[in-house]
Amino acid sequence: MSVEVKDIHFSYGKVKALQGVDLDLPQGAIGLLGPNGAGKSTLIRILLGFLTPDRGEGRILGYDIKTQQSMIRRYVGYMPEDDCFITGMDAVSFTSYLAELSGMPRQEAIKRAHEVLFYVGLEESRYRLLETYSGGMKQRLKLAQAIVHDPKLIFLDEPTSGLDPQGRKEILDLIKDISSKKNIQVLISSHILPDIEYVCSYVVILNKGKLAAQGEISKLKEIGYNLYELRVKGEKEGFLQKLKDINCKVEEREDGILKVYVPFSRSIQEIFRIAAEEKIQVRHFVKSQSSLEDKFANVVGVD
Amino acid sequence: MTIKEKGYAHWEGELEERRFPWWPITRYGIKLTFKKKYFKSFLMLSFIPAVVFLIGIYVSERLEDFKFMVRESVPFLKVDPRYFNNYFTNNGLLFMMVIMMIFCGAGLISDDLKHNSLQLYFARPLKKKDYFLGKTSVIVFFLCLLTLIPGLVFFIMKLVFSGNFKFLAAYPWLPLSIIGYSFVLNAFFSFYTLLLSSINKNRLYVAILIFGIYLFSDILFGIFYGYFHSHYFSLLSLRANLQQVGASIFNQKTPYNVHWIFSFLILAAICLLSVAVLRKRIRGVEIVK
Repeated sequence: MSVEVKDIHFSYGKVKALQGVDLDLPQGAIGLLGPNGAGKSTLIRILLGFLTPDRGEGRILGYDIKTQQSMIRRYVGYMPEDDCFITGMDAVSFTSYLAELSGMPRQEAIKRAHEVLFYVGLEESRYRLLETYSGGMKQRLKLAQAIVHDPKLIFLDEPTSGLDPQGRKEILDLIKDISSKKNIQVLISSHILPDIEYVCSYVVILNKGKLAAQGEISKLKEIGYNLYELRVKGEKEGFLQKLKDINCKVEEREDGILKVYVPFSRSIQEIFRIAAEEKIQVRHFVKSQSSLEDKFANVVGVD
Repeated sequence: MTIKEKGYAHWEGELEERRFPWWPITRYGIKLTFKKKYFKSFLMLSFIPAVVFLIGIYVSERLEDFKFMVRESVPFLKVDPRYFNNYFTNNGLLFMMVIMMIFCGAGLISDDLKHNSLQLYFARPLKKKDYFLGKTSVIVFFLCLLTLIPGLVFFIMKLVFSGNFKFLAAYPWLPLSIIGYSFVLNAFFSFYTLLLSSINKNRLYVAILIFGIYLFSDILFGIFYGYFHSHYFSLLSLRANLQQVGASIFNQKTPYNVHWIFSFLILAAICLLSVAVLRKRIRGVEIVK
């Protein structure tokens, strides 16, 4: 396993950012999910060696996160969320410069910079000043600098933010190619759940500094509930309360559709019985597929 | 088949641990400075004092040949430690150094802060000291072109033009003074520039600060001196403090009637303040958001 952490605790003063996080991540693309303040950024800081945990231990690519941060950074690529570049440079200089800082010989760095810029689709504009780049081009450039030194593990922070749908798909395809065919582990922190579902096979969900869930997406989607979508007419309060009383979780969408998570131990007849008792007309009733979004909502407490 | 179609390709080589991991930062910093508008013209201009003093050394050894031009005795053509002190501490050269700082140093850290690039540096196997060394070396490189290199060239040319080692025998400590004062100038201007570059994200604003503080400190000294006639107010002026320390290192009478150690302590305090601010500023943003 290239990412292993055990019982990680970290606090910013009195604020506990991480509380006993255990991770043991497999190869491939891994999604890191969680609401704001869940501890995702702190976890990435610790994995990159920027922060030393208060308690716990871990190894990234076999290097200790407390004592071998420099080695970790040599073999890890990082694509930050913010726009970041070095003024006065073109893409080739920028990418080769960062490759050199990672320990690549200069000539090799220049050669490699050209290759990765071709790979991310910046071949035509690689000699343009970075100040003139569009948001999408900067996003590709950030990916190029993250992979230029051929890392074994890449951290991508919101890799598709600010991209149009076409650009987003292209970046996701690149990430998929890197993670699936080239034996490079990718850890993606994103708020865009469809992106995670598109690229990753495994997710880690953090909530309030704790590990809320982790595992294969396909397995996590099996959330222990049957999901139904209902449209009803009538006074809903009593109906919703009785559903909750039999351990159903109910989510009301903006378009009026009710998403009802029914435990396996309950049958759908009970929904109709409660509806009849509360004099509710059920006008639409469809069994739905649970998505990663449902799992996410489920574990972070949105119900 | 294009590289893009071929997909991602691994690199066959091995990443190496550099002896001087900061060197790429310095090299690119120097390269980017040379790309700046008007910088090459300014650099040429900044060599004028050195050229004039070098000609002075040549003329001092060939006074017989230049008798038709120089009729009276010319004390300023006497090459001794005072001559070197005059070169290193003259107002024009110090002013050139300040302008040099604006060209090569104003954006060193402020541009990184403005464009969030610190996280790119620190996601690499770079330590904070490597980052500072890389940035400082850019300043040191350009300052050495105005200080250490001309100083040593003057000394060597004096020996060459005189054709003997009498000058070295008379002032064996002079090369050390040249190195020592160049070090003081380099250290002070490096810390001064990096301090100001780290406190603002706007390079133009930093340039104004570099120039403004230097000038304002001198104006302040002038105002107080004009009013109170006390040399102690020279401690307010960065220029005067540098000249005091320079005169002391070249074993000359200090231009102001204040012990040079006070000036040295003020310059050292500015350097220490710079270290403290840099540690704080860079620590605050090195972490990914």
